[in-house]
Amino acid sequence: MNLSELFAKRRGQFWGQVLPYLGYVIQSGVAVVFLFLLIAFSAWYTSLVMNVPPGLPIRWIMLAILVPLAVNSSVRTYLRPADTVFLLPQEPRMDMYFAKRRVSGVVYKLMLLMLVLITLWPLYIRSDDQPKMLLATVLLLAVLKRLSSWGSWREQHIVSRPAAAGLRVLRWCIILLSAASWFWYPVLHSVIFTSLTALAYIAACSVPSRYKVAWERLILLEKRHAARVMMVLSWFVNVPQGEQRVYARKWLSRWGSGIPWNKGSAYRFLLIKSLSRSDVFGILLRVLVLGAVLVWVTRDSLASAAVYLAALMISGLQLSSLRKVHKESFWLMVYPLPEGSRHHNEIKLLFQVQLLWAVLLWLPLLFSIMSDPGFVLGTLAAGLLTVWLFRASAIRSVKKEEAEEDL
Amino acid sequence: MMNEHPVLSVKELSGGYSLNRPVLHDISFHVQPGEMVGLIGLNGAGKSTTMKHILGLMNPHKGEVTVKGRSRSDDAEGYHGALGFVPESPILYEEMTVREHLEFTARSYGISKENYESRAAALSGMFRMEDKMDSLSSHLSKGMRQKVMIMCAFVARPSLYIIDEPFLGLDPLGIRSLLDFMVEIKQSGASILLSSHILSTIENYCDRFIVLHQGRIVAQGSLESIAQEADTPGQPLEDIFYALTQGGSRK
Repeated sequence: MNLSELFAKRRGQFWGQVLPYLGYVIQSGVAVVFLFLLIAFSAWYTSLVMNVPPGLPIRWIMLAILVPLAVNSSVRTYLRPADTVFLLPQEPRMDMYFAKRRVSGVVYKLMLLMLVLITLWPLYIRSDDQPKMLLATVLLLAVLKRLSSWGSWREQHIVSRPAAAGLRVLRWCIILLSAASWFWYPVLHSVIFTSLTALAYIAACSVPSRYKVAWERLILLEKRHAARVMMVLSWFVNVPQGEQRVYARKWLSRWGSGIPWNKGSAYRFLLIKSLSRSDVFGILLRVLVLGAVLVWVTRDSLASAAVYLAALMISGLQLSSLRKVHKESFWLMVYPLPEGSRHHNEIKLLFQVQLLWAVLLWLPLLFSIMSDPGFVLGTLAAGLLTVWLFRASAIRSVKKEEAEEDL
Repeated sequence: MMNEHPVLSVKELSGGYSLNRPVLHDISFHVQPGEMVGLIGLNGAGKSTTMKHILGLMNPHKGEVTVKGRSRSDDAEGYHGALGFVPESPILYEEMTVREHLEFTARSYGISKENYESRAAALSGMFRMEDKMDSLSSHLSKGMRQKVMIMCAFVARPSLYIIDEPFLGLDPLGIRSLLDFMVEIKQSGASILLSSHILSTIENYCDRFIVLHQGRIVAQGSLESIAQEADTPGQPLEDIFYALTQGGSRK
């Protein structure tokens, strides 16, 4: 069996499933909105680079944007549950299978990191009083990226999950500190520091026992990655939903228990549980925190309204994927739920959550209400209009689905 | 003796995945209140297809299925409200805990909160799941997941239970608890249509049996009556089943 060819064949099959949907993505109105936002961002960024505000915390900005990209090292393996039976005998030769994943797992992500670095670079050299050389920065980030990819792959094969989690935290720390040392300290000091911490990290990774191939772990991760790709596509078109990752989030376990005890609200109960333990909710929280911080930072300029509306639209898009989670749910076909309760509860919950996000994201603008009440209240009105438009769009989709079901 | 108002009535049902190749051929049977009926057959005989038609997951090519006199097209909510289902393989929401599955089921069936709480407590004790009630279903073993399915069906207390291979994955104590509870449910007046390959177990619990073979009913009735049909009087269910399915179609 040619394992390298098998990997390539599986990768081709997966992307063969995805590519036909890309046409719909390009055609969809949301893609146009993203394009518009990209153009708006470019214009805003050009203006920022031309007129850099004094005291811009550029080193922190570089750190906040580049470190997550340097650390992120997820890889696709295209492994399937049946492989624990049929590929297991090939375990000693599986390096051949995984060889190609290095290209997608490292090279493509490295290219993205470099693209972001090059984009940031004009702002960096205009803001920092002692900027580092571009080539040296590229080299450092490439080394950190490679180290993170190696460490991430190693972590997946460690037998003890707590040990793997500990090494993951360590990986984040050393890359964060190494990048920080690069932007804050002299080159030689930073290089020595990075080399020593990297060696210590490599040594730490070799201690815990690990599997030759962590079959079950890799299959689980592959399912999650595939589901995420489908989730992104589901923002634009109807696609089959994969298995989503579930987060326990015990602090949210009470959410939903207070809703009215009747059949009409039963689906709302399920939907709340699905939302509160989903990937989507984590993204919503990140959008909320990051959006609120950026709105606060830019509160005295028009950019705050753009950031506010962009964050609200991303939230709406994320929430819309929830409408597809239970589309094919077995128990919704078997349980005696009242007719129409599914769509009614979906629209209501998504509207309420997005409305809450609209208010929370707007709160930082309250600091400017005395100086510019018209702008602050106008931004809120635009946010509420956005939420209402999302709701109207959801109602239109529901009516279309119902018409298709009736045919 | 057929009651005037069976809980489940299947009349001349033909159906399958393709109009040209029906899996079921004119099958008719009924289940009376307080009756436990075993639906038995070889792999591919049509047991699961029959259940899917009863659950409304498949539309018949011909014939009719009614539950408590109602067809699904007349009153879907009332039809489904009278049915509880335990599938062969657990179908759970990975993002919900055991307790939340029971709560979602109770809410969906319109069970009062008080009844839900008392039933959930009793079921968790009966199936030894007390310490797993707040675990996410993704953290459960296969047997525990099957227990959750059974508990969900029983928390709803519908008039008719459709139970497909319930013993798969259950430990011996779980099987005993399930059988005891099915007897209790039956005595309370509910009906059970049960599919299983473990004939020696269901032989002592079911009031009647329906033997499906190649999509047709080859025998139905009490153990004694199907033994007569198979010319195997006094023999255990396994021998009767063997005679009926290996000896060609008989009606």
